[in-house]
Amino acid sequence: MPAFVTRHFPFVILALIPSCGGIPMPAFLKNPSDEAVVYALGPQDGWRSPLNDGLKPACPALLFEDDEFSLEETHERPIRDLAKEMEGDKKARLLIAGYAPPGLPQDHARSISDRRALAVRQRFIELGIEPAHLQTVGYGNDFSPSGPSSSVVVIYRQN
Amino acid sequence: MNTRALCLIAALMACPGTRAEAGILGKLRGWVGLGEKTVTAEPKKNMPRIRIGPFSGGTGTSAQEALRKELVGSREFLVAGAGEKAEFTVEGSSIGGRVTGRLRDAGGKELFQRSYAAPGLDDNLKAFTDDVIFTVTGRPGLATSRIVFVSDRSGRRQVYICDAGGGEVHQVTHDRHGAVSPSLSPDSSMVAFTSYRSGFPVIRLLDLNLGWERGVTDTPGSSFGSAFSPDGTHLAAMMSFIGNPEIFVSDLGSNTAACISDSVGAPASPSWHPEGRQIVFSDDTGGGPKLYIVEVPQKEGQSSRLFRWRTGYHYCTDPEWSPDGRSIAFTTRKEGEWAVAIKPWPGGSARIIQAGGAQHPSWSPNGRLITYVQHGELFVHDLRSGSRRSLLRGFGRVSEPRWMR
Repeated sequence: MPAFVTRHFPFVILALIPSCGGIPMPAFLKNPSDEAVVYALGPQDGWRSPLNDGLKPACPALLFEDDEFSLEETHERPIRDLAKEMEGDKKARLLIAGYAPPGLPQDHARSISDRRALAVRQRFIELGIEPAHLQTVGYGNDFSPSGPSSSVVVIYRQN
Repeated sequence: MNTRALCLIAALMACPGTRAEAGILGKLRGWVGLGEKTVTAEPKKNMPRIRIGPFSGGTGTSAQEALRKELVGSREFLVAGAGEKAEFTVEGSSIGGRVTGRLRDAGGKELFQRSYAAPGLDDNLKAFTDDVIFTVTGRPGLATSRIVFVSDRSGRRQVYICDAGGGEVHQVTHDRHGAVSPSLSPDSSMVAFTSYRSGFPVIRLLDLNLGWERGVTDTPGSSFGSAFSPDGTHLAAMMSFIGNPEIFVSDLGSNTAACISDSVGAPASPSWHPEGRQIVFSDDTGGGPKLYIVEVPQKEGQSSRLFRWRTGYHYCTDPEWSPDGRSIAFTTRKEGEWAVAIKPWPGGSARIIQAGGAQHPSWSPNGRLITYVQHGELFVHDLRSGSRRSLLRGFGRVSEPRWMR
């Protein structure tokens, strides 16, 4: 250990304490209430599907790499902007549709696309949007949205 | 590790029945013998020898000849010639296409006698052939078995059904926007599939004999990958109505569903162990899908164990348990292409049986063959000889085959 550290050990420890907030807590020490609450989806009645209606995307499609489903920094801005828009319209509802690239095995692609859509929904909920105003669907690679990539989540406004 | 108790999540209300596609099984006739397209010789060492005895009646001669083709095509027997000794003898009568068949052992003891009264001679002889095979070998025959699959040949992905030789292909669904992810009930009387007719993915059940159809899931979110339990009373599937994609087991009698997985990723493709006590499925929690085994709780409130099953491959999906429960087939990746692999359960080395883009394996009811797709073409692969042959070529892009269990 460097001589500086051994000599000033108590001060080094004190200096490190403020940065502890950034250190992830081991899972077994976490309080269950710290976990994100997952809200069940509301009834699908009255929701329009992009397969039946020519729904227009409410924002640019959110692009995902290969079979990734975690949200990236690039997704944050369009989600935030849309959440802000929705604050002014309490009746606004969003259908979040996940898609997956054609090369993936079909069932896996469906599950990936569903997980992507649910991850976007969860972010909207964290930003204060009413869960009942958000519906999701995963189309896998059974259908492709219009656009250059099919590895996306497309958000459709319902009204 | 999942130690959660079984919890009944929701009563899934069945949709009112609607009439559709009456009597598809009634249309399935004209079997194309599996052995007629065989490309390699079979190991004949342990095959029992069977004699085709006399068949009386007006259609007796036709029945005798057709039965010979069925038995030879089954590759379960050596058909004894005149003067040769045989361990078994089949005989009977056929009048107007109806068949009464008997099976005797070498001592002349009657093992069974049964009458078959389906509308066609071929159907009756297929049923008789499967009964003979089951009585002698203890394994189900393939003469009456069916394969469901998806094809886009109509312009939309729809569910089709064919016999084990790739013949007698019929379109099962005509859904607006298509239907995918099919599976057959153990007796092949029902097909479960995901329908897009409402614009959202919903699992539906179609009775192939009666033509009745009903919804299994009337829940929001997505529902895919249905798989019948070995007794046909339950359906495992991926559903996401709780706001998280999970594997659920639905009781088809009560329309209730229980969550059996505990996923933070993307679970898919459940498949039952033949005893119905465990389910294998794929789950991607990051870095590609892996295989997981979960014990199915047998009672309400019973805890279940969930654990990862290591295959030696990083990317594993579409698992299916073999009919004897001793192996699991799955899709993996080899040198950047899809490949079908088999690994013994619970342990042993995985081996790739077909690379070069093969995917979505499904076992034949006797466990000797595997069907899969490769670049949109449907194949059947003989695990004893290692040979394979194309079942369907040029039938649109075929995907997601499932053999009757």
